[in-house]
Amino acid sequence: MGYIEIPVDVPAIITESLTRRFGSLTAVQDVNLAVAAGQFYGFLGPNGAGKSTTIKMLTGLMVPSAGRMQILGLDLATHLLDVKRQIGVVPEGMALFGRLTGAESLNFAGRMYGLDRETAAQRAAELLDFMGLSSQPKTLIADYSHGMQKKLAMAAAVIHGPKVLFLDEPFEGVDAIASGTLKAMLQRMIARGVTIFLTSHVLEIVERLCTHVGIIHNGRLVAQGSLDDLRSGVAAGSGNRVEKLSLEEFFLQTVGGARSTAQELSWLG
Amino acid sequence: MAGLRAWRAQLGAIFFLRWRLFANSLRSVRGRLNLVSRSLVALLVAGACVGGAIAAGVAGWGLIRESKLEWLALPFWLIFLFWQLFPIMATAFTYNVDTSALLRFPLSYAEYFLVRLVLGALDIATALGLSWSLGLLIGLCAGDFHLAGWALLVFACFISFNLLFARMVFVWLEHWLSSRRSKEVMGVALLLMMIGFQVAGPVLERYSKEPASSRFHAAAKFLPIESALPPGLAAASVGDAEKGRSLAGLVRAAMVLAYAAAALWLAHLRLHDQYRGENPAGAQKARTDTAGAAVRRGWKLPVFSAAISAVFEKELRYFSRSGPMLFTLIMPVIMVFILWGGRRALMGQQQGFVFPVGAAYCLLVMTNILYNSFGGDGGGIQFYLFSPIPFRQITAAKNLAHLFVLGLNVSILWMGVSVIFHPPRLRVVALTFAWLLFAAPVNFALGNLLSVYSPKRIEYSTFGRQRASETTILVSLGVQLALIAVGALAIYIAHLHRNLWVAVLILGLLAIGSLGAYIVLLTRMDRLALERREVLTGELCHA
Repeated sequence: MGYIEIPVDVPAIITESLTRRFGSLTAVQDVNLAVAAGQFYGFLGPNGAGKSTTIKMLTGLMVPSAGRMQILGLDLATHLLDVKRQIGVVPEGMALFGRLTGAESLNFAGRMYGLDRETAAQRAAELLDFMGLSSQPKTLIADYSHGMQKKLAMAAAVIHGPKVLFLDEPFEGVDAIASGTLKAMLQRMIARGVTIFLTSHVLEIVERLCTHVGIIHNGRLVAQGSLDDLRSGVAAGSGNRVEKLSLEEFFLQTVGGARSTAQELSWLG
Repeated sequence: MAGLRAWRAQLGAIFFLRWRLFANSLRSVRGRLNLVSRSLVALLVAGACVGGAIAAGVAGWGLIRESKLEWLALPFWLIFLFWQLFPIMATAFTYNVDTSALLRFPLSYAEYFLVRLVLGALDIATALGLSWSLGLLIGLCAGDFHLAGWALLVFACFISFNLLFARMVFVWLEHWLSSRRSKEVMGVALLLMMIGFQVAGPVLERYSKEPASSRFHAAAKFLPIESALPPGLAAASVGDAEKGRSLAGLVRAAMVLAYAAAALWLAHLRLHDQYRGENPAGAQKARTDTAGAAVRRGWKLPVFSAAISAVFEKELRYFSRSGPMLFTLIMPVIMVFILWGGRRALMGQQQGFVFPVGAAYCLLVMTNILYNSFGGDGGGIQFYLFSPIPFRQITAAKNLAHLFVLGLNVSILWMGVSVIFHPPRLRVVALTFAWLLFAAPVNFALGNLLSVYSPKRIEYSTFGRQRASETTILVSLGVQLALIAVGALAIYIAHLHRNLWVAVLILGLLAIGSLGAYIVLLTRMDRLALERREVLTGELCHA
């Protein structure tokens, strides 16, 4: 049934003491991720916590200051190109070429991932149809709406059938219809055994889609586990079982509460 | 009063913003290097300002002293043409502040217009045009002090016209080149220009058979047109004043002012639409295509891999959809026409070098692409970095596209030179290709290096706001000068041996070396890109 075959004993993503420093600032510190194959992993954290930095390191866009990373059992430091062949990425900036049309862009992406011309063109057409982008074949990506660009970026990331998919805020700025399309695609991929590593600020989406969650705060991984375990209050390392929480409640409890709204900005009226 | 205070505060904020952007850029080594480069460029520009102003002053003084004011139109025309054409011909070397982002703030239209006008005028062409105009003015006043008041009035009108006309041309070109239909029109225009070469030959032939007096009469037909345009009017106005014809002079000065007002009005039409929120590419965005979802197969280049073919295709599609890039790339064709206009001034031996000089120019106009080859990719650079294709292949594919464009340009040049003058001799063609074989790999290699080390995001669809890094501009100019000097030295040595083939041999040997250096550097692009990936994404992905 599996869309791809992943050996049971090979985790999809493993990091050991992953660290990234920018001068005196440590953006990511000693992060140990463990994502099994086929998991839908939500990577959460407040703004500036280190989510994007981590995903950039995992996809080869940024070099770590220390630590090791393995994707599908392959070390990124020594097998970067092999890893790249197995993954799909929708980064923060979407990585699109604005002066191409959607079809040209997908065709281009397919061929860069090694598909032959016929397959690339066929898959591009199917993806455009699935994403509802086929009605404007001559429109340049630069003229697409934000939601359309997100859908296209997603299509470009999956055209080669990746085994691991990295998504940095895929639902940001996407309307409900486009969001539904993206979710349908992701669920289909999960059903076929693809591992998805997703960062998002929208906790409801993570709660609905993900099976496992990691929470990063101030560069450190403060919680990791299955969604059910975390909602039951068993955060990594805590061991104390409390009342069943929503993901949002657990998240706020883990990274610190909201600031008082009454204290300042009286001039706002 | 409150409005004036708010206006001053806004202008102050805009200049503070510029200052902070500049100051913050000095935090990085690259920013400090850029400052050094910028200072060197400023020194060069200052030299050109002073030198040109002195030359213009001497010309003005001499024309007054020798009572040859009928020639005064010449410096006016030269200043006008440089002022208007230089920013268009050298978009890579000019920097205009992108002020359209200011529209989100509560600026009044008048404020927006003024900011666009003032900040848009902070460029090299304006600095040179202004200083040369002032030099000419001082020269005229020194020649005949009684003309000072009048000349001041005429120059005020002339300078105002140039400032407004340059802005008007830019805002309209930017608008015109932002839609795909306009680019298609430009493509057709290019085709017509090429066909025009076929007609140019017989026309030229016809005029060359006319006696000199007939040719003079033919040229004289253009004088009324020349004297009705601002540079001619300004010059004639000064001449009128010198001859005591105040009323005629005043009318001509008023006509220059009327031209300036027309330019102001035309610029207003465009800027007002922008102020109201028009998206330059809006017409295109509004269109809904109805064609089906059939996707064409990508290109396949013989010999080369699928990835190289894909990047090559993508690069050519980018060029074809970028108005400013198309404009830059057809400059050699325009140069052929300029050569056609000045063909009589070229002696037989000089004509022989039109093709190599034109080929060198073809390479020169490509430097803004070669030395910042990832600048137009923007966020797409991330795709290159996480795709499983070695970076050297991506770079090689880009260079292949550059080589294709260069080849196309040189071919067009060859056709133009063949029709206008005569087909270049075999040894001249060989010399040109030997120099290109030597110079192109050097440019490609250094261009690849600087594209990775000093990338700068550029917007292919925006005209006149292309900002390559100052370091890149300076290095690329230095490299071109060095390459041209090597070519000239080879020709000189060949001249000493009275055999041009010697130069071909020298340049051919150098080409082997430069090609080797290019290949060595290309093999190291993977490592360089890995080392510089954060700079690449940091510089190219931010909006």
